[in-house]
Amino acid sequence: MKQAQSHHPIKGAGLGLKRELLPQIQAAYGTGLTAHLDFVEIAPENWIGAGGKYAKQLAWFTARYPIVCHGLCLSLGGPDPLNEDFLHQVKQFLDQHQIPLYTEHLSYCTDGGYLYDLLPIPFTEEAVHHVAGRIRRTQEILERRIAVENASFYVASPIAEMDEASFIRAVLQEADCDLHLDINNIYVNSVNFGFDPHAFLREMPGERIVYAHIAGHDQEAEDLIIDTHGQDVIDPVWQLLREAYELFGVFPTLLERDTNIPPLADAMREVNKIADLQMAPQGIARQQPADPISRKRVPA
Amino acid sequence: MSDTESSLPLFQQYQLAFTAHIRHPRQHMRPAGVQAKRMRVYNEIVFNNLQSSVGACYPVLQRVLGKRAWQALVRRFFAEHQASSPFFRDIPKAFLEFLPQVGTLPPYAVSLAHYEWVELAIASADTVTPLLTAEGDLLQGIPIVAPALAVLVYDYPVQKISARFKPRQALPEPVHLLVFRNEQDEVKFVEMNAMTARLLQVLQPGELTGLAALQQLGLEMGHADTDALISFGGALLEELRQQDIVWGIAVGDEAGIRPDAS
Repeated sequence: MKQAQSHHPIKGAGLGLKRELLPQIQAAYGTGLTAHLDFVEIAPENWIGAGGKYAKQLAWFTARYPIVCHGLCLSLGGPDPLNEDFLHQVKQFLDQHQIPLYTEHLSYCTDGGYLYDLLPIPFTEEAVHHVAGRIRRTQEILERRIAVENASFYVASPIAEMDEASFIRAVLQEADCDLHLDINNIYVNSVNFGFDPHAFLREMPGERIVYAHIAGHDQEAEDLIIDTHGQDVIDPVWQLLREAYELFGVFPTLLERDTNIPPLADAMREVNKIADLQMAPQGIARQQPADPISRKRVPA
Repeated sequence: MSDTESSLPLFQQYQLAFTAHIRHPRQHMRPAGVQAKRMRVYNEIVFNNLQSSVGACYPVLQRVLGKRAWQALVRRFFAEHQASSPFFRDIPKAFLEFLPQVGTLPPYAVSLAHYEWVELAIASADTVTPLLTAEGDLLQGIPIVAPALAVLVYDYPVQKISARFKPRQALPEPVHLLVFRNEQDEVKFVEMNAMTARLLQVLQPGELTGLAALQQLGLEMGHADTDALISFGGALLEELRQQDIVWGIAVGDEAGIRPDAS
């Protein structure tokens, strides 16, 4: 295996399970096309409580692939009380389908009601405590560690007291949770807010990284990228992923494609490229001290 | 800003001002110090995402109302409705629940919307199928109907409404529609008469034999000729079995249910 000594089933390269791709993956199962597809990722908000053909599709995938749950609506940074009923449903879902990893965004999506989108948290001291407290409570209910993802955004809050990297580090440390590193989001924000993505990457707490995303986006203007996950991954983002592996060791990495969905063969070309990068000598050389997932699992 | 809001930490006051502007840009200014050009990105993407989630469920209502009225309706829903569910498939349901208070819609709009929404609801209903045998006597046994099934009664011919056909008045007699998920997980709609609709409602709990269900129907309808009703009803039950609406008859006790995903 690419990642030595890990008992964690999430390894290698994965693909987000969009409904459009689902029948194509089922048809290509066991063929060379999906040979490097090691795991898939789903949003619990789409699958919890869904019956009929959806339940059967999910059962097909859980029988064949390790699954990651990547949540969208927990609103870790939101002003409303944490939705604990929902978290209990998530816990039951993770247990029922033996899903080892649940990650969420460092963002908010509620204001008394759900807005179903990822909105930026102002980087303030009070926000650090608020978010960290909610992550801790989430880990308590789920009886496991979670990983939180650095989000992409478009508006810099005028009340920020620190930069994004400092905010992420402070939250992760206070919450004592893992990092879901989104490589594309680093690049998107570096263009949207004019910072050096390589310097940002080096500021990330590498020992907490358990999982990564890579994706394409839409460049609207020289200084504005919209994070659509609707294009091929661009070279500077691949370069950042390579650099992240060199700095922190190889970690399981997933290709996100949410709009403008291409045929599976095109998506798999990018998944295979992730697998290639993970096999590169520098990745293998650094992977010994990494293996973060198995080491950091919380006993239930 | 209300007293409760002003007692919140500054970052939360900012977050609520941010979303208030996204929900209702004309009524609420964007937070001070935020670039207009960047704020517009959120105004657009958050609303557009919601609009496509709602629109995917209501293609006919959308066409019947026309683009401008539809946009204005979703805009109002977004501004006024506080969605309480984190699940995406509940967005169309919340929209359906919002419609009756709108007031300015055509009289058939809520029925049409319900008819469109129920397809999604039946497709994704999380059901369990009782142990059954596909063969067997539907009069002596307990008929098991498709677990995801609903009998619908509308005052308008919702199944015929389109941009070219907008009913001006309610039907003289309401239309009865059955919606169900067959064993291949396809959602089917069937128009039926009031008696068949009632029979399915009586059978749905899975407690009565076909005979007992027909006898109950006879009593409800004040039907004198029970023999004729039972002979007609027996043929009707067979027909429902042919259509995959009745899946068979129950076997064993209630312990024998199987989850549908296995």
